[in-house]
Amino acid sequence: MNTVYALLGVIGLYVYVSIISLLFSGIDRKLVARMQRRVGPPILQPFYDFLKLISKETIIPNTANFMFKAAPVLMLATTIALLAYTPMGFAPLFATKGDIIVFIYLLTLADFFLVIGVMSSGSPYGRIGASREVAMLVSREPAMMLGVFAIMWGISKLGVQKPFSLSSLYEHNIWELGPMAWVAGAILVYVFMAWLASEIETGFFNIPEAEEEIAEGTLVEYSGRYLAIIKLAESIKEFIAASLVVAVLFPWQVPIPGVVGYIVNLLLHTAKVFIVLLIAKTVFRAVTGRLKISQAINILWTRVFAASVIGSLILAMGVII
Amino acid sequence: MTWLPFLIIIPLFGAFSMPIVSLIGGKAKEAWATIVSFATLIVGIDVFREVWNGGTIVYTLGAKNPFGKATFPIRIVWEVDKFGAIMVLIVTFVSFLAIIYSIEYMKHDTGLEKFYTLILILELGMLGIAITGDIFNFYVFLEIMSIASYALVAFRNDTWEGIEAGIKYMFVGSLASSFILLGITLLYGQYGTLTMGYLAVKMSENPTIVAKIALALFLGGLLFKSGASPVHMWLADAHPAAPSSISAMLSGLVIKIGGIYAMARVVFSIFSPAVNLTTVGWIIILFACITLIVGNAMAVVQEDMKRLLAYSSVGQIGYILLGLGIGMVAYGTKIGEVALAGAIYHTVNHAIMKALLFLVAGAVIHELGTRNLNELSGLAKTMPKTSFAFLVGAAAIVGMPPLNGFASKWLIYESSALFNPIIGAIAIIGTAFCTAAYVRVLFTFFGRPSEKVMNAKDPGIAMLLPMFILVLAIVVMGFFPWQISDKFMVPAARALWDVMGYIASLMGGG
Repeated sequence: MNTVYALLGVIGLYVYVSIISLLFSGIDRKLVARMQRRVGPPILQPFYDFLKLISKETIIPNTANFMFKAAPVLMLATTIALLAYTPMGFAPLFATKGDIIVFIYLLTLADFFLVIGVMSSGSPYGRIGASREVAMLVSREPAMMLGVFAIMWGISKLGVQKPFSLSSLYEHNIWELGPMAWVAGAILVYVFMAWLASEIETGFFNIPEAEEEIAEGTLVEYSGRYLAIIKLAESIKEFIAASLVVAVLFPWQVPIPGVVGYIVNLLLHTAKVFIVLLIAKTVFRAVTGRLKISQAINILWTRVFAASVIGSLILAMGVII
Repeated sequence: MTWLPFLIIIPLFGAFSMPIVSLIGGKAKEAWATIVSFATLIVGIDVFREVWNGGTIVYTLGAKNPFGKATFPIRIVWEVDKFGAIMVLIVTFVSFLAIIYSIEYMKHDTGLEKFYTLILILELGMLGIAITGDIFNFYVFLEIMSIASYALVAFRNDTWEGIEAGIKYMFVGSLASSFILLGITLLYGQYGTLTMGYLAVKMSENPTIVAKIALALFLGGLLFKSGASPVHMWLADAHPAAPSSISAMLSGLVIKIGGIYAMARVVFSIFSPAVNLTTVGWIIILFACITLIVGNAMAVVQEDMKRLLAYSSVGQIGYILLGLGIGMVAYGTKIGEVALAGAIYHTVNHAIMKALLFLVAGAVIHELGTRNLNELSGLAKTMPKTSFAFLVGAAAIVGMPPLNGFASKWLIYESSALFNPIIGAIAIIGTAFCTAAYVRVLFTFFGRPSEKVMNAKDPGIAMLLPMFILVLAIVVMGFFPWQISDKFMVPAARALWDVMGYIASLMGGG
């Protein structure tokens, strides 16, 4: 019976997050337009885009193979499965010991499916976009993994029910670990913001899809339904990635019991996600341009990963001392 | 009444009657080989069930019990414990699929009655190693297996590479076998018995330097047979040159049975009461770490598809050896148990997934006639089923969670990280290389179709069926990883550790 409730919960979250994440991208576009003294599209524009794409004719290139059609579906399926492991202001629905690994795995897998789908189109532009995507994927994830594992290890020292589960983030948080952890926390805020920006590929990191250079790169061959599915999945993934940042760094909730508590916490969480995305996406993309792929990889390893190492070491010292 | 003897009788009868059956002509030899291997599979399943329900089987050849009028075993005994039963099951299963696959795959070759005779003898040799409890009998079966595989590697004797690989494999393989024979000779000279369990008793009463020399010779020979790193060179040549159904058996079974299983059996069931397991374990861990890195790193740079898979096999053997080594050093602890269970589990899983990958490679070669990865771009367009099977196999071997490779690798990572974080890190680095190698192949398969692949098509049902049975096995085993681990692999690891139980069932039973 619990499984049935959890499944209903996942469906509910899916509907909620789909709407909210598309809504946020509408707000995002509006805000960027205002920053550039334009009027911008209406806030509901992403919904119109989605409906239009769904109704358009879908073209399959004749060099494409079966993964071209399967990959967008698999990508969306992975993101929906990921919702079951995402902290949403309350513990994830399927929280178990060690579920952080499932979370990271599914988050990476969604990108990987996209890459496979793009490769399968047979388009050389797609190929360039895909290889950039893989290079970014390999470069950005270690910094996040190190940071998350360090924080979860620190939290598990305080005594939690399920060590290395995303649900443990709501029992204790990094800011309870003392002054050294505050320094580490400040460094990790930078790391996680940089990771989030590179995960959702905006600002500096808008490289695989670089419109002007390689004609939309990854998404060049996708049209119609499949493009709509990918856009939706990317938008959900954006919300999930930001949820991780919020849960790891700012997990403060209001302790209200019952169903009302869940709803209030979900709304509070959504508000925090909006603020995080506002900084990491909207502002970042309005004020910076794109880097070259080699520069971006260089930055991810030398600035972001190095900061993650330093932050984790300081955190570890703080916990041990 | 045990079915155990039929495990040898049926393939032996099948192999020896093959020249006569092939006189009928037509498809008789293929049908006969399929029937024989299917019957062996049935017996294998029954033996597995019997061991799992009734405990270790001890079977004496020629009498009711191995003692006669003496107080020590004088006859050849077969002793099948849980680990042996798992190996029996996997050998009969993969061999059966490889034989079905060969029906279509080998139809352009000549001399097929010899091929099916040899393949049944190969299966026979492997089964013999898995069930025997006598060290000289073990050597005989090892040689049966080895000689059949030399002949099968060089089966396509009109190709230069078949002959080259066959000669290389035979020369160094014979040398390795003679090490093992020398070890057996030394042990017999010192202790005067050839029964494994009784040898363990005698050796624990009087551990000598001779026993240590014999162990060193055994380890040298068996590390060669398993394809551990400094002596893995035969494998990288033999797998590409052999017919693909043979590569699947070589990589999936021969290196496990002749190398890993034999090593585990010799070290735990004969030497563990007498020698210091920590030293042996660290030696194996050392080789495991080298094997892991060398095998997986070499896989990344290959351009020949089967060579890539061969190096990947070397890399995966590294994981199994790592689990085995930790299982020896951490004898009697929880970590060691997890590591050993992981090693056994990974042996089974790797047999299934590497068999699948080699069958896929065989299908590609069969349809396109090339193994060069640069020419295989866009294969998924024209051979979608084969590419899908490859996708599943590659994902499983890298260790993606919904598939079977995850749980076994996880057990090895977990135990090695708890045992020694540096070794854990080496295991992770090995996996990173492995992932890189397979992602590269996937990108080739799913790329833009080259002109060469445009005329290809999926192979027929006889080749697709074994592949999809293996895909199904990978997926279904992936759904119940911890159940399989707790119900089968951990008890098998405990049975392997339990030398006293092994000896007691030999001396008391019969």
